[in-house]
Amino acid sequence: MFTRLKTFFSSLIGGHHQGEGMSDEEILAEFKKRYHNFRLLLTANKKTLMIMSEMEQALRGASVFGMSFVRSQATAASVNVYRIVKHLSEIAPGKYDALFERLKDIQAQIAAVLDRQPQTAATELVLPLEAVDRAHADQVGSKMANLGDIMARVGLPVPPGFAVTALAYSRFMRDTGLGDEINRLIQAVGADDHATLLPLCSQIQQMIQNAKLPPDVAEAILKAYLELEARTEPDVRVSMRSSALGEDAMGQSFAGQFRSVLGVSAEELLIAYKEIVASKYSPQAVTYRMAKGIPNEDVAMCVGCMAMVKARSGGVIYSRNPLSIRDDEIFIHSAWGLAKTVVDGAVASDLFVARRGDPPRLTEQRIACKDRVYLCDPVEGVCRHEEAGEAACAPSLTDEEALRLASMAIRLDEVYAEPLDIEWAMDQERNIFLLQCRPLQQIEAGRAKRPPGQFGKPLAAGGVTGSPGVAAGTVHVVARDLDMLTFPEGGVVLAADAAPRWATLLSRASALVCERGSVAGHLSNVAREFGVPALMGMEGAVAALSGKGEVTVDADGLAVYPGRVESLLALAPKRETPQAQSPMHAILREVLDIVAPLNLLDPSVPEFSPENCLTLHDITRFCHEKSVTEMFRFGQDFQFSKRASKQLKYRVPMKWWFVNLDDGFTREITGKYVTMEEIACEPVLSLWEGFVAVPWAGPPPVDAAGLLHIVAHSTVNRNLTHGGDSEYAQGNYFMISRHYMCLSSRFGYHFCTVEALVDEREHENYVSFQFKGGAAEQGRRALRAKFVGEVLENYNFRVEIQGDEMRAVYAKGPMDLMLDRLRVIGYLLMHTRQIDMVMTNEAMVEGFRQKFAKDIGDILRQAAERHMTEVMREMA
Amino acid sequence: MSTCSVLLVDDEAEFIETLAKRLTRRGLKVHLAFSGQEALDFLAANEADVAVLDVKMPGMDGIEALQKIKALKPGLEVLMLTAHANVEVAMRGMELGAFDYLMKPVELEELLCKIQDANKKKCLQQ
Repeated sequence: MFTRLKTFFSSLIGGHHQGEGMSDEEILAEFKKRYHNFRLLLTANKKTLMIMSEMEQALRGASVFGMSFVRSQATAASVNVYRIVKHLSEIAPGKYDALFERLKDIQAQIAAVLDRQPQTAATELVLPLEAVDRAHADQVGSKMANLGDIMARVGLPVPPGFAVTALAYSRFMRDTGLGDEINRLIQAVGADDHATLLPLCSQIQQMIQNAKLPPDVAEAILKAYLELEARTEPDVRVSMRSSALGEDAMGQSFAGQFRSVLGVSAEELLIAYKEIVASKYSPQAVTYRMAKGIPNEDVAMCVGCMAMVKARSGGVIYSRNPLSIRDDEIFIHSAWGLAKTVVDGAVASDLFVARRGDPPRLTEQRIACKDRVYLCDPVEGVCRHEEAGEAACAPSLTDEEALRLASMAIRLDEVYAEPLDIEWAMDQERNIFLLQCRPLQQIEAGRAKRPPGQFGKPLAAGGVTGSPGVAAGTVHVVARDLDMLTFPEGGVVLAADAAPRWATLLSRASALVCERGSVAGHLSNVAREFGVPALMGMEGAVAALSGKGEVTVDADGLAVYPGRVESLLALAPKRETPQAQSPMHAILREVLDIVAPLNLLDPSVPEFSPENCLTLHDITRFCHEKSVTEMFRFGQDFQFSKRASKQLKYRVPMKWWFVNLDDGFTREITGKYVTMEEIACEPVLSLWEGFVAVPWAGPPPVDAAGLLHIVAHSTVNRNLTHGGDSEYAQGNYFMISRHYMCLSSRFGYHFCTVEALVDEREHENYVSFQFKGGAAEQGRRALRAKFVGEVLENYNFRVEIQGDEMRAVYAKGPMDLMLDRLRVIGYLLMHTRQIDMVMTNEAMVEGFRQKFAKDIGDILRQAAERHMTEVMREMA
Repeated sequence: MSTCSVLLVDDEAEFIETLAKRLTRRGLKVHLAFSGQEALDFLAANEADVAVLDVKMPGMDGIEALQKIKALKPGLEVLMLTAHANVEVAMRGMELGAFDYLMKPVELEELLCKIQDANKKKCLQQ
């Protein structure tokens, strides 16, 4: 025995072969160092589990997160696991070095996922529109790809132009270092809070606008313009629009997210380009991506550049009804001047409805008073709203023109075999040009006929359905950007203009009411996408609804009622929860698959080794287990008087052994035994209180099948048989200091650990309880894990269950609350023994549930009373 | 714990000046350096227990500074603090002997605990 110890000793101390010559003081110093490493290991361990749990919550939950979250969590997890391995190697030098290699492999896998930049397929910096078709969507964005396709394949008129590709964008971001710098800002400042979002966005946008384009990118854009000029007219003005990669994909409309600049001259070309790239970081675009889970990196900003149409009128065509899947009529929205007034919701628009057929026929026309026109001066290039004058209330299209537009829509709808949303402009010579064409998301509106007075008297009525549904919330008027900061979660957005920038609020809003706008505007588009009921074009809404508190918006019935109208809300179709499978979720899932799965469960099998650590969680688990073993061994094997393990004597010697890490005993213990009175570790004292508070009634009566399983199981698992030679068979081993305890216990049939740190660093305090196994078959063991988890959840533990393994943690809290949690665990240690046997008996389970609740309630009450008495005594 | 002396190294002057004030109020002795080179110059002439080092600085970056600091003062514990989350850089720093790699924004309490832990480690190593 002595030889074995000596060998072991030397292996621990490394070069010190005179180890047995070390004085008690030297051993104590060594022990203290290792204990500090052990403490740090535990802190890092806890931090790692917390990070993994946060990542898993993000994946499951509806909360929004971006790439900076995934990156910083993955980095923090890697760092903490590195620390765990490092501290273990300080506790047991050289013994677990293989872990460093495993960790390197795993980290390389994580880095590979995070560094995977979307590779652009583009090889050119700019491409002329004629050279582009749908197959180029990953080079020039789908907006420009679709336009090129319409021109080349369908033969419909599109203004001449070119696209600045994804390659130009990625060169701009990379060569200037902007990409890295933006990531840094988003991580350091955080984009999830509205108050920080606005300044953050303006800072990033400014950085982009101030940056210098790589010379060859600038040159390519200017050269493309010169070629366009040669084909059109001298000094031709152009429109520049975003054509972001990933737009329209996966049902993401990005409607109105990004900037368009109209009437751009040659001199302003590069400034306008940067302005559009910068609009990727407009507040509404950033919140939209967060809400939809689209990584910033995935949105390469391509920019389309087309000769301006000197528009007489313009607008939007829906090739089918966006609010009714069964309705295949064509909806043409039109206003004077450029289409911008229609999509921005700035003025009312004319509506022409046409029925399909050869030729199509007009079935309906509603002419609105279009008081303003949006025009660009062909010489000055300046664009602005002007008074429409006497033409305001006249139709902005003739019937013949409306039908021509309808025919174009039918043609495109047939070619692409899907409903489309088409933006168009008609010049002074009545030539029609298509400016944009994208898939139309159709949804089914609950076309409601509400009998008058059924829901009381509305505060306001009228308008059109922008997005269907019924919802209630508190009215909040938005007129300026500042108003967005005070917008309450679940509020009703009330605005005069249907400006696209209000889209920022839609992920948090219950409903939307606008005085202007139509179903064709960007804002309606985004509202439909988020499933937020929207009432558009409701005249006088701001005056009628301001300050009215909670209202119920009936977007189907075109009315707003005071208060919550439950009977009306009950009619609303259930709002779908945000999709849990966004691209961002997919990346997080991929990272988590390298981080979180736990493959090493049973420490007693040979497979529990560094080579089998496949994930960060495996390494964490392995190191925790080994660190406890190593610390315990150090305390036990070095037979110097102060550190050896002591057996607990409570009436008789019990199978509880204690290793004093630091200041866990009230005095120096010289004999073999220690009593509870001599233990200074507060967590243990509380655990013990719970443990002995109520006598155990003995194992529950077991049915025949359960018993059979114990017999079979006991013969194969050595840990379960008495006198088995597994390392610490049949014992409960505590490592303690005044404020810390770690119990690892292989109770007859299951394995459990209780760990607690309760001291003055309140935010580092925690109590954790894990257990696994049992004697019954897997099904009942899993049921017990679930049952115990439920009990612990009642005391606010955070519980995770995998099969028959349960992990419960209660973190951060003042001492008395932490100690109460230990009392609960003490009670459960005593009383959950072998109840896995009866887990399929619902009546008995319910009996246990009630008994546990009552007993634990009593224990906590008594502890609180005792505490009060002590306080009173001290005060007296 | 005897007064722990901390060297904060970051080119964002405003950030570390504020941090220095808050740490001083908590009883730490704080020195400032606005670049890796400044930090090395300071350490050549003075002692410190713990350094808090930014990773991305113009001129000498944090990783290079870490290497040089560790060569000069092997006993000094170094905390990396950065707004760039990067797994590879973090691992490189840890392998070069950084005590920890923290990401901005960091809570003062957490940073304080890390400094204490690092300082205690340094004391135990002596």
